[in-house]
Amino acid sequence: MRELALAGFIAALSGLVSLYATDHFGAFAGINLGLGGLALLAAALLGVRRLRALGSPHSRPVVIRGVLRIAVCLILAVALERAAQWSGVEFDWTREGRFELAPATLEACQDLRNTRATLFYDPEDPRIRRTRLLLDTLAARCPLRVVGQVLDEAVFDEDRYGVGSSNSVVLEHGDRFETIARPTEGTIYEALYRLRSRLSGVLTLLYGNGEGDIEDERDLGFSGFATALETEGYRLRRVASAALVEVPTPTDALVILSPRRHLPDPAVNAIRRWLDAGGSLVAFIEPGVTSGLEDLLGDYGLASPDAVVIDPAYAGRNEIGASIVAANYEAHPVTQGLGKNRMTFFPGARPFHLSKPQGSDRLVRVVLASHRAWVLEDPALLDAPEPPEPGPNVRRNYQTIAAAGRYVREAREIRIVAFGDAEFASNRHLRTLYNLDLALNAVHWATEREPAITLRPKIRSIVQFPLPIESTLSALYGIGLLVPEVLLLAGGIVWLRGRRD
Amino acid sequence: MTPLLALIRKEFASLFGSSLAYVALTVAALVTALTFFDHLRLYNQVLFAYASTTMGGFASDSIPDYINLWDLVFFPVMEQLGLTFLAAIPLVTMRVFAEERSRGTDELLLSTKLTPNQIVLAKFFVTFAFVVLMMAVSFIYPATAITRGGLGVEHLAAVFTGLTLHAIGLASIGLTCSAFSRSQLVSAISGWAIAFILWDFGWMQPFVSEGVANVLDAFSLHPRYGAFSEGVVSLANVVYFASLAIVAFGLARFSFDLRRVG
Repeated sequence: MRELALAGFIAALSGLVSLYATDHFGAFAGINLGLGGLALLAAALLGVRRLRALGSPHSRPVVIRGVLRIAVCLILAVALERAAQWSGVEFDWTREGRFELAPATLEACQDLRNTRATLFYDPEDPRIRRTRLLLDTLAARCPLRVVGQVLDEAVFDEDRYGVGSSNSVVLEHGDRFETIARPTEGTIYEALYRLRSRLSGVLTLLYGNGEGDIEDERDLGFSGFATALETEGYRLRRVASAALVEVPTPTDALVILSPRRHLPDPAVNAIRRWLDAGGSLVAFIEPGVTSGLEDLLGDYGLASPDAVVIDPAYAGRNEIGASIVAANYEAHPVTQGLGKNRMTFFPGARPFHLSKPQGSDRLVRVVLASHRAWVLEDPALLDAPEPPEPGPNVRRNYQTIAAAGRYVREAREIRIVAFGDAEFASNRHLRTLYNLDLALNAVHWATEREPAITLRPKIRSIVQFPLPIESTLSALYGIGLLVPEVLLLAGGIVWLRGRRD
Repeated sequence: MTPLLALIRKEFASLFGSSLAYVALTVAALVTALTFFDHLRLYNQVLFAYASTTMGGFASDSIPDYINLWDLVFFPVMEQLGLTFLAAIPLVTMRVFAEERSRGTDELLLSTKLTPNQIVLAKFFVTFAFVVLMMAVSFIYPATAITRGGLGVEHLAAVFTGLTLHAIGLASIGLTCSAFSRSQLVSAISGWAIAFILWDFGWMQPFVSEGVANVLDAFSLHPRYGAFSEGVVSLANVVYFASLAIVAFGLARFSFDLRRVG
């Protein structure tokens, strides 16, 4: 009987493997499953004959009790599983709360009463399941009404809202609407923010002296930053730096995006006067450029020599580390929520050395490179054929690549945020890691809108953060291989002792 | 000390008195460490290749969606380890009941004050504890690497919770097979076979109706533990593995009844 059962089992298993591998019910699978099944059946019949003993009056109650016990276990197991399924209890253990709404989204959503979300969909589109789930989650927490509309059944609405494809969402609030072509929490958040249309303040930006262009949609342009600022409610005003003799009013903050040429003296003086009168400045400066802003920042204790920070912590092979993945922040409203696992990326930054002009001033090293970072005095060496090496006297330390200062002068408060890099806020890098949050939160702080400081939901919700290669390797040697080694040693000792005894 | 505690103590002593337990722990820790490191290295290399200046810098738009920690590390690691444990766990469970039966020491156990329920409970408890220890040992390196990288350990904890429950499910199947067999080899092979059959019924979908496919899917191991790789711990999936243990307990207990009358 055992031989028959074994042969049947092997044949049936071979048939199943062939089906599993090919997804095709061919002759091989058919013959094996058929013969295997017959052999198993025959073995089972033979087994039943042997089990006749179990049917004796003495054995019957024991067997019945046992079978009943198993039946109870089975019913209990299925009932418990079904109840758990019905309860729908789930715990989101993703680091970034992938399946939970960000506070920023909820706040923007709860601010809008009587908003309607229409999902235009093709019934065959698999993406609508996730979008519907997202909208329903929002509707459960905010005054939002969700409706579905099959595509091509409302051509007039599709034309009116500019719906181009399935899985598009139209958010309507009063007579205003926003069409979202690729709905994610991030894009819905931005649409809600635009619908909210609350004026946050006026920002003045300089142009004409090689400053970053907020109308340039190319990779190194800043149109994305400008759009993000407008989404958050700011009105942007552009002023030619050559014509700047007074900062125009109203201006809540002056934003200067890395001038490539030296600013005219009247412009620098106008900025200084305006700051001393209690103004706010968000300055982005680049390595290898002298614009006159550096001296101005130096006067406020944020000196930045023309050098570049090299941080090998996240450098790839054959890279010296001119690009910085920053994971170190000092406590400040600008860095609220950022931390070891919420990094920012700087494609090349100059350092800051902080020294308080007055004892009451408050200067903070907002963003720092890693403890292995060092300063390359001549940024031009980055373009040399041989990569520069740190000299023997070079000190490796946390280097400041962004700083914030708060000064009180004659009962007026001055706020300055300075970044040693502008490219991190360019179109190419604005949505990398948490760059957008850092740049926008800096503006919010400078304009004294601390309540608006938040971490925004990401347009793309996937984890693309790098892991330091060296620490991964050291963890492998330190823990990954050490633990098995210790265990094997313990096993070896136990084996030797067993032999000796 | 109660007889149950004494039996649990004896089971632990016999488990850790043999080098097999240490070898199993070593293999689990080593395989996990190497698999995890390999995927982590690959993820970093691909990410940095796309992040290099020639490929457009670290701009998120220049990095394809599939290069992320879930798809390149957590998910494949879980798949590989799940299959590895499918082969390894029956080796751990094969001796638990079968050895006692082949030596006849189960009769001795039954002649003590211990009830069959207590005997089964003690053996299940010790085996599950060993499986949890095995997973905890395996978890140390991935947790260290991920935490050092500043990525937080929450998602990884979900992955290892899934793997631990999967291992407990496999141990339940293995223990049932061991309870019905005298031979450790038969116990291990049948443990593998049943786990393999229960692994995933997805391939049967083209041959059965939708209703049957849904029922079969609900019984499959793979979709249940695979769901943890998303970082979501669902109560239904936890209960599924607990249910496997409950049913296995009932079956193992039944094997004692059959021995009395067989």
